[in-house]
Amino acid sequence: MGIEGVTGDSDAALVGRVLAGNTGAYAGLVARYRDRLGRYAMRMLGNNADAEDALQETFVRGYRSLARCTDADRFGAWLFGILVNRCRTIGGQRAKRQAKVSENEPALARASVAHSEANDALREEIEWAVAQLSQTHREAFLMKYVEDLSYEEMMELTGVKLSALKMRVARAREELRRLLSEENRD
Amino acid sequence: MTDDTSKLDRAIGLLREPVSIDPSLDRRIMDEIESLPSPGGWKKRVWAVYDWLMRGRPVRVSPLGGLAVAASVAAIVVLGRTEPSSLDGTAPLTTALQGSAVQFVIVAPTATEVSLVGDFNDWNPTATPMQLVAENRVWSVTIPLNAGRYRYAFLVDGNTWLSDPTAPPVGDDEFGRPGSVVTIGET
Amino acid sequence: MRKSTIWQILALGIVAGLCGTIVPASAQEPRLQDRVPEAVRSEIDAVLDSARAQGIPAEPLVDRALEGASKGASGDLILRAVRRLANELLAARDALGSESTDPEIVAGASALRAGAEPEDLQSLRSLRADQPLTIAAAVLADLVAVGVPADTAAAAVIALAVGADDVEYIAFRRNVERDITLGASPVAALGVRLNAAAEALDYAAPRSASTTRRPRKP
Repeated sequence: MGIEGVTGDSDAALVGRVLAGNTGAYAGLVARYRDRLGRYAMRMLGNNADAEDALQETFVRGYRSLARCTDADRFGAWLFGILVNRCRTIGGQRAKRQAKVSENEPALARASVAHSEANDALREEIEWAVAQLSQTHREAFLMKYVEDLSYEEMMELTGVKLSALKMRVARAREELRRLLSEENRD
Repeated sequence: MTDDTSKLDRAIGLLREPVSIDPSLDRRIMDEIESLPSPGGWKKRVWAVYDWLMRGRPVRVSPLGGLAVAASVAAIVVLGRTEPSSLDGTAPLTTALQGSAVQFVIVAPTATEVSLVGDFNDWNPTATPMQLVAENRVWSVTIPLNAGRYRYAFLVDGNTWLSDPTAPPVGDDEFGRPGSVVTIGET
Repeated sequence: MRKSTIWQILALGIVAGLCGTIVPASAQEPRLQDRVPEAVRSEIDAVLDSARAQGIPAEPLVDRALEGASKGASGDLILRAVRRLANELLAARDALGSESTDPEIVAGASALRAGAEPEDLQSLRSLRADQPLTIAAAVLADLVAVGVPADTAAAAVIALAVGADDVEYIAFRRNVERDITLGASPVAALGVRLNAAAEALDYAAPRSASTTRRPRKP
């Protein structure tokens, strides 16, 4: 794939090379962040196709606007911000489509959940439960508990103030707890 | 509750597990990227336009639109003027950046008095009378505006509301009268 | 007066002065006097109080009431307009974040009224984190006002969000408007100007709702 000796090169070094005209150096950044961003995209959007769309759009936008990444050492965080927005847009578009079409929403939500991993009952249950959260709650929960972001970082990414973020995280947690326990009683 | 909490913790553990995305995605991304111009390039072009402007060329804005670059030129030049003039073919700048004095203009040849009324003067019909200029057909006034978005209209002879044909309309007919909007951005 | 009473009064004054959002329940906006029908005046004042308490700008609400008054609207119409705007300001502030400036909130509210989604404003905030959003949000609203469908206008404004500065946004809107005046359909005008802006800014055009999705693996 022509990663051109990027192992061990810092983000800033790779960004610098891309801006100097070496497009191939960007492949190193893609390889470095693909899975990490992919995890958030998958958890957020719940299916392979949308997650891959979100990733592709994110990396392409990141490339186009690379000159605006003012702190190249924080390229990953900057790129993550772009991903958050791509997921919002794609998630929003999908919600609109589903709102028009669906008559049996829980069934559809389950159908869209990824089955790329082994058919594990708990995984399915968790993915279903996460899909039940509202977009804003899911986003806050994933940022806090899966991506380990600080509240300060979350405020930067979402523009939402601290108290509102904490409330979203707490509510998401409670909602998930409730959903997971109800499942048991089915 | 403890069971629920430990189940939630297990759930979080599973969600944190790494995900592997199909590596062929990398190739599709790079294919798309390789068709794009270098990201360092756009800034140079914008600065080239800016340099050209600062050499003080006279600018004519073609009413047929021309390039987006030409329009950027017009916007930058108008902002740089200290005496705004709308009578040489360029429309008044109804979206502008803070610090500008904004000129409002309306053609009303049969009016005996015209005033500018809007958010910036508490919709007071007599606060900002306009002056007749240019062969007694065009009414004009220039006022300084801070950053913000202002709805306004022209009041002709104390009883007829006119919107500004050169400005964006208000977009809603809230009070059943025509209106326009001017937006001033922060610097 | 006893010394301790004086200190208590002073202390209250200091506290009241520091608590900028506390407004006495009976506060009346003086500019509405003799302009807005008395029947709705207290209700409008209540909306203003509530707005201030929630930290959203009240001045646009006063302006809206005065606009209605000067255009001869009924009290009910004015009250409805003020309430509607208050809700939009609140929604815009929530979407754009609590650190937003008043001009940003007002422009954001206009964008929402024009049909933009809160997510569009959030996207703008993320993509233009280092610049005010007033002009970007205003251009969105203004494009809709000249006939561009809301989702198309939002997509265009968001597409330009990373590369265009405020001057370029303004020029973009004026170009689209000029083309519409000369007879182009709003969507066609938008498309042409977006491509022109893309060339000038070295972008490719964004995906619109009608564009096919990029090819996936077979």
